Order: sequence, then C-alpha cells, then structure tokens
Amino acid sequence: MGCLHSTAAREFPGHENPVKLASETAFSVSEVEALYELFKSISSSVVDDGLINKEEFQLALFKNRKKENLFANRIFDLFDVKRKGVIDFGDFVRSLNVFHPNASLEEKTDFTFRLYDMDCTGFIERQEVKQMLIALLCESEMKLADDTIEVILDQTFEDADVDRDGKIGKTEWSDFVIKNPSLLKIMTLPYLRDITTTFPSFVFNSEVDEIAT
Amino acid sequence: MAGYLPFDEPNLMTLYKRICKAEFSCPSWFSPGAKEVIKRILDPSPITRISIAELLEDEWFKQGYKPPSFGQDDEDITIDDVDAAFSNSKESLVTEKKAKPESMNAFELISSSNSLENLFEKQAQLVKKETRFTSQRPASEIMSKMEETAKPLGFNVRKDKYKIKMKGDKSGRKGQLSVATEVFEVAPSLHVVELRKTGGDTLEFHKFYKNFSSGLKDVVWNTDGAPEEHKA
Repeated sequence: MGCLHSTAAREFPGHENPVKLASETAFSVSEVEALYELFKSISSSVVDDGLINKEEFQLALFKNRKKENLFANRIFDLFDVKRKGVIDFGDFVRSLNVFHPNASLEEKTDFTFRLYDMDCTGFIERQEVKQMLIALLCESEMKLADDTIEVILDQTFEDADVDRDGKIGKTEWSDFVIKNPSLLKIMTLPYLRDITTTFPSFVFNSEVDEIAT
Repeated sequence: MAGYLPFDEPNLMTLYKRICKAEFSCPSWFSPGAKEVIKRILDPSPITRISIAELLEDEWFKQGYKPPSFGQDDEDITIDDVDAAFSNSKESLVTEKKAKPESMNAFELISSSNSLENLFEKQAQLVKKETRFTSQRPASEIMSKMEETAKPLGFNVRKDKYKIKMKGDKSGRKGQLSVATEVFEVAPSLHVVELRKTGGDTLEFHKFYKNFSSGLKDVVWNTDGAPEEHKA
C-alpha cells in the first residue's frame, strides 16, 4: 500500500489520489482517471498549472474565454470550494459528483439552492432572482417590461414562498423542488455515466498499477 | 454465447495486457464459424480487425439475422395515449378552452438555456437536440401557427393540449425525424416553446428548425440561438 500511494502521488502532483476520490464519490477509480483527462485538457488551456481558472472554465463552457454569464459564474464559485479563485482536481471531481445520475436528490437540491442564493445569506431573496432573470434576458437580447418581470416573480414566489416572507428558505426550496422536478434537470449530466468511453486515453496513462477491483 | 467473459482478470492491468495480446479461448462447443468471427472481432489491431461492413457479410453472422428498423428513441406519447386524449372528444372540446399551458417559473426560465454539458464537448456543439423560442402571442395562436407550418414541411402532427408531436414522412439518415414541442406560459404575455428531437438525425433536426422557425416568424419573438447561430 505504501508503494501504491507514492506512485499515484508522483503522477498527480498536488492532486488527490484517484482511489481516495473514488471512495468518496459515485465515480469508480477508472472514472476518476477519465475525469483527470478532461481536467487536464481544461486546466492547461490558458495557463498550464494544473488548475482551472475562470477564463479556462469559460473557454470550456462557451468555447470563448471572454464570455461571461451570471449562471456560469455561480457554478464556478460553487466548484471553487476553497474560495481560491481556481478549481483543483479534487474540487472538480467532488463537484461533478453532484451531477452524477446516481447522486442523491438531497445533494442536487442543496446545490441548486446554493446556486441561486447568490449572496450566500441562506435564503433566496426576490431581488437575487430578479437579478438573474434580468441577466438572462440581457444575454438573450430580450427586453421585457418591468411589470412583466414582476408578474413572473410574483407567480414564482407565490408558489415557492409559502410563509410569504419575501424569500425562499431551504425547506421551502426542497418542497418547491419536489413539486417541480424539472428544476433539477440541469443537475444531472448523463455524460458522467459514460465518462470512460468519452475519455479512453486514461487506459494507457493509468499509473494506478495494482488496483483491488 | 459462452456464458462467461473472454477476458476476466481480477487485476485491471493484467486484464488489459491479455486483451492486447488477444489471449482468450473459445469453448469447445462453439461452431468453427462462430470461433472465426469472434477471433476477428477480438483482434487487437484495428487495421486487421473485422469492420462492421465485413461483419454484416459474414456467413455465420448472417444466419437468422434481421436488419434493424430505426425506432424512435424518446417517444413519450404512445398511440394509446393519443387515443385516450381524443376518446372523450366531446368533453375535450369544452375543457380545451379552459385549459392553460403548463407554467414555467422564473428558475426554470433562468436555467433553461444553461447547461454544463458543453464541458464534455470538444468543439462547440453547434447542433443541439433541443432548442426553444419565446413568443408574445397567445398560446392557442402559437399552437395553430406551428401546426400550419409543420404540415407543408411534410410532417404529420398530433396535438394534445399544448404539446405537439411531429413526425416527418420522409425517412432520413436515421429513420424519420420526429420532434416534440410544448408551449409553456411564463407570464400572460410571454410564452416559451421548447422543441426536442425525439427520433432521427440531429443535423436534419437543425435543417427542420431553420425552416420551421422562419415559417413562424410572425409568432417568434426571440429564438435561443437557432441551432446554427453561435454568437461567439
């Protein structure tokens, strides 16, 4: 076991051991290795430092490193678990784990709650939703009358904000998600089930020699 | 056929070594024809390995083989559902007037055109299987305009409240193109129409959407980057 540890550590400088990551997530060791191939290609696209910065993330998502979008910014912030402004491999795997088809409803619900709670107050305030809505409309070059935006917010909050305090708490959000499962549609990436076929080169680069399967 | 795997090792690297050397043996009850085909499929060299075209011509393979017909990959509504929807036709005449489209809330709207799927695509995925447009026209008008536009394009249309299933009459690269659409109400004056390819070739879906959305220009307010437009 001592040999295994140092071999893996040599090949994943500063990165976590794939066996450890696999044990903490829904991914198998092979899948973590395949994710490493993806991680390598994203993290070396602008600065080859083994870390994904904002630009590299934007490049991977939009194929345009300058393009920004409120939604993507939130996702980046949530992936950047240690709040360092960059995403390391451990962050990457653990965050993508929530998007795995086998991840729990609870994990996915919690992620979306934190996604929309932009200022991290523990509540999704009406103003935050308005901001995101306006950002989306701007990006799609759609102009909506302020009245219409208010109507959309009214209806959404009517459904979700049960205690009528102008904000959506964690419990209200969980209940709301149960009534509207399509809210979690973005939280599952079917690609993650077939990750080893999408990135097969890991097979020849695998440094994890003796794996107890 | 054998009831067990050709390569089965407890250790991943040993497994891969065996596969690369094609170290396997067929059970004695396999026919010579079967053994030959298996040997050619499990050939580690992609140059000498049997191709699909060659496989389809193999004598052993051809025995009792029936070529597939391309089915629909994502049909939600079956013929029974359609019949059920129309069986109480007298009643539905009355209820349709009262029925409203499904509503779409602010969060669904915000997340509708965002997805992390692009992380996994090496190039910009210019042709998607799903798209949407917004409209400021009433839902019933959107529905009838879509039906009017789809028919001359050679599509058979089945409606169920604010959903439409369209099926192209021509058989394309992957069978007939079929598309499912649904109208959602975001606000009384704003609707979002989602379209999704449920069968057939994605490139054909892209072509279809180009024609379809231009036929709908009176109704479309903004389209979510028509599959070919990628605002870089």
